[in-house]
Amino acid sequence: MFSSSSTMTDGDYDYLIKLLALGDSGVGKTTFLYRYTDNKFNPKFITTVGIDFREKRVVYTTNSPNGTTGKTFKVHLQLWDTAGQERFRSLTTAFFRDAMGFLLMFDLTSQQSFLNVRNWMSQLQANAYCENPDIVLVGNKADLADQREVQEKQAKELADKYGIPYFETSAATGSEVDKAVVTLLDLVMKRMEQCVEKPSADANTSDGSSKLSAAPAQQKKCAC
Amino acid sequence: MKLEQKNWEDRKNDFCPLDLGLFQALERERVLEVLQRDKALRTIDADRVRRLRVELHGLCLQTSRIISRPFGQRSCARCQRVLGKFWDCGSVCCGCSHRICNRCQVVRSAHDWKCTVCHAYREFKIKSGEWFLEQQAKKFPSVKENSETTGDKMLQSYQRLSFIAVVPPTPPPFYNPPSFNRLEEHKKPFTKSMENLVASVSAHIKKLSKSQNDLSEVAGQLTVDHGHMMYSRRKSLSDGAINRALCKVPSLPILSTAQSTSTSTLCLTDDDVSSTSAYSDDQRDSNSSTGMDSVLFENTISVTGEIEVVLAYNNRTSCLEITIKACRNLMFRDTKKKCHPYVNVCLLPKKCHNFKMKTAVRKGKNPVYNETFTCVLSADLLSSAVLQLSVWHSRGLKRRLFLGETLIRLADMDLEDTDSQRSLCCKLNPKAPQLGGDAELQFTSVLLLIQAQFHTLPHNNTQTHGVLLGAPGQLTVLFTDVSKLLSVSKTAHFEGILCLPGHRELVRKTSALKKTDGSIRMSFSSLSQQELQQATLTLNLWEKNCLLTSARLHKESSWQHLQRMPGVWQEFNLQLQVVQT
Repeated sequence: MFSSSSTMTDGDYDYLIKLLALGDSGVGKTTFLYRYTDNKFNPKFITTVGIDFREKRVVYTTNSPNGTTGKTFKVHLQLWDTAGQERFRSLTTAFFRDAMGFLLMFDLTSQQSFLNVRNWMSQLQANAYCENPDIVLVGNKADLADQREVQEKQAKELADKYGIPYFETSAATGSEVDKAVVTLLDLVMKRMEQCVEKPSADANTSDGSSKLSAAPAQQKKCAC
Repeated sequence: MKLEQKNWEDRKNDFCPLDLGLFQALERERVLEVLQRDKALRTIDADRVRRLRVELHGLCLQTSRIISRPFGQRSCARCQRVLGKFWDCGSVCCGCSHRICNRCQVVRSAHDWKCTVCHAYREFKIKSGEWFLEQQAKKFPSVKENSETTGDKMLQSYQRLSFIAVVPPTPPPFYNPPSFNRLEEHKKPFTKSMENLVASVSAHIKKLSKSQNDLSEVAGQLTVDHGHMMYSRRKSLSDGAINRALCKVPSLPILSTAQSTSTSTLCLTDDDVSSTSAYSDDQRDSNSSTGMDSVLFENTISVTGEIEVVLAYNNRTSCLEITIKACRNLMFRDTKKKCHPYVNVCLLPKKCHNFKMKTAVRKGKNPVYNETFTCVLSADLLSSAVLQLSVWHSRGLKRRLFLGETLIRLADMDLEDTDSQRSLCCKLNPKAPQLGGDAELQFTSVLLLIQAQFHTLPHNNTQTHGVLLGAPGQLTVLFTDVSKLLSVSKTAHFEGILCLPGHRELVRKTSALKKTDGSIRMSFSSLSQQELQQATLTLNLWEKNCLLTSARLHKESSWQHLQRMPGVWQEFNLQLQVVQT
């Protein structure tokens, strides 16, 4: 389905897609991207300084309505890795504007990182290129079952509230890592087609629906 | 929970994305390294986008050809195929509103299709990332004019800080203008193609204008050539005029009066003896210039070619300036077919002028000299002088060979009146022909008896003595016993030049000697006795433009007697040196 290409320095590709990983410090953003691009695991924790990015060349296949294999395109992925520490917050949020899709990550063994997902969503809505960017919620470190603090049910409820996909991944074992990125890439490619096809009125409509979905959440908070 | 929310809100307020000074040096270096890598990736992507744009441009040009159709007939806007009225009539594209045939449609679904150009433009927007920029501009209108990314801004701001030496970033990639233009491009791709077509037409018009300029240059060259031809023609005409002027020989009326006088006795004076000595020197000089063998050889060879010379007379310095410019069409006298010519310049008669110069030796039949010689010559002698130009072939230590010569009478040049130059192109002639062709040459002295008389007009004799002195008179020269000269040449003639004060000269010529019956008369009129007191008479014997000899009456006692006693014939014995067989 997906195969990586060794040549990375030439311009022989059809699409350049910029994705960005965000979340609290220590949730496994750098390890996750390293697993995806090089298929290796580095157990040692090295905090990221400010900002970084990795690259990968993949082959994307569209699904035609008939069910047969559609056209294939070469996609060059630029995967931005951000620092989760507070002192780099001002630097990393400035790069949200240039990203087409986002991997919002939290640690399944850390309840606090899951609670901060709401704050990261607010940052995204404020700094991303549009009001409702494409986001995939990722719960990392799924292989540590004995230290699990966030239940799958809770995470799915939060993802459904925002209308975004949810995946439980493990950078150590590599499970669900490719699936998470592929899902985000699909969302971005569909977003391209829609932006070019539909007039701007539809975009306003979708923006309105997004605002409507946000209002009930606030009401619930007031009740609490 | 509330504290956490408060902390997040505080962090929002601390947003300052372009300030890298807050970080440590090592952290700053790491961030800058990442930004440089990002810039390199964006440069590669910019090249790819540029290629996509070129392809789209080519497709628009290819499908936008304008072909004139009969009125009312419809055709596909892309492939120009003729469309029918009832079947195969095509459809209107939703994007560009042009009528498109079935083959040029890109069908995505039953109710969703576009023409080839609109489809290509849509693909371009997806692949180049323009869709993303449009969406970004909607949310951030204030920065829609600036298509730089966050990394670009940080790099530029950091260069102002200049804490660490950073390689200057490459210029940001070129993006399209704001969304307004992009939307317009999307709606009217045909208009864009039309603009390209107009640009092509303009370029073609410029080419036509350039061709017109080339024609102008060619016309200029033709004009220049025409001017050059005119100049050549004018020059040729001028040469012809000079030649015609040289050939012209003025003829003077001969006054004949039947009057004979008695002969007086001969008397030699000291001046006559001096004249004889001068003739002896002249004889020796002539002998050295001409040899026995060359004379024989020269008589049988015809001379060709011409010589170009410029003459000018400076009245202030009383100098005659002779410029030898060039010779043309000389003949080969040497058996080796070589020609090393030089020109001898001298004034005749040699008794009066001690001037003899020569030019440098050149090579070829058409040598160029451009040499100027200056000769001190008083104005009163200018009319009686003759310029002799002899062309010789130099053979080093061997005897030189004669190539031709020409004689120029300075009296015909009118050099006294003006300071301007006279350019001449004279034909070269062989030496003076010798009679009989005998090998031996002799120089004989001939005494020529001449009688001269000055008398006033008859009707003025009755006037008083004072009036008689100022009355105009006439000088008559009578050449007697001319038969002595017939043995020398039958076509010789005399020329008399009377030099008067005030640079005035009276010139008279006689007819050929063979036509006369024994005596020749020459008259000078319109002169007074007072002028006669300071006059000088020069008599020249000519043989077809070749001066044979010359005599001068200036200080002789007989001449003085003639000046003092008008009405009385005075006799003179002129000793002439002539070549005789």
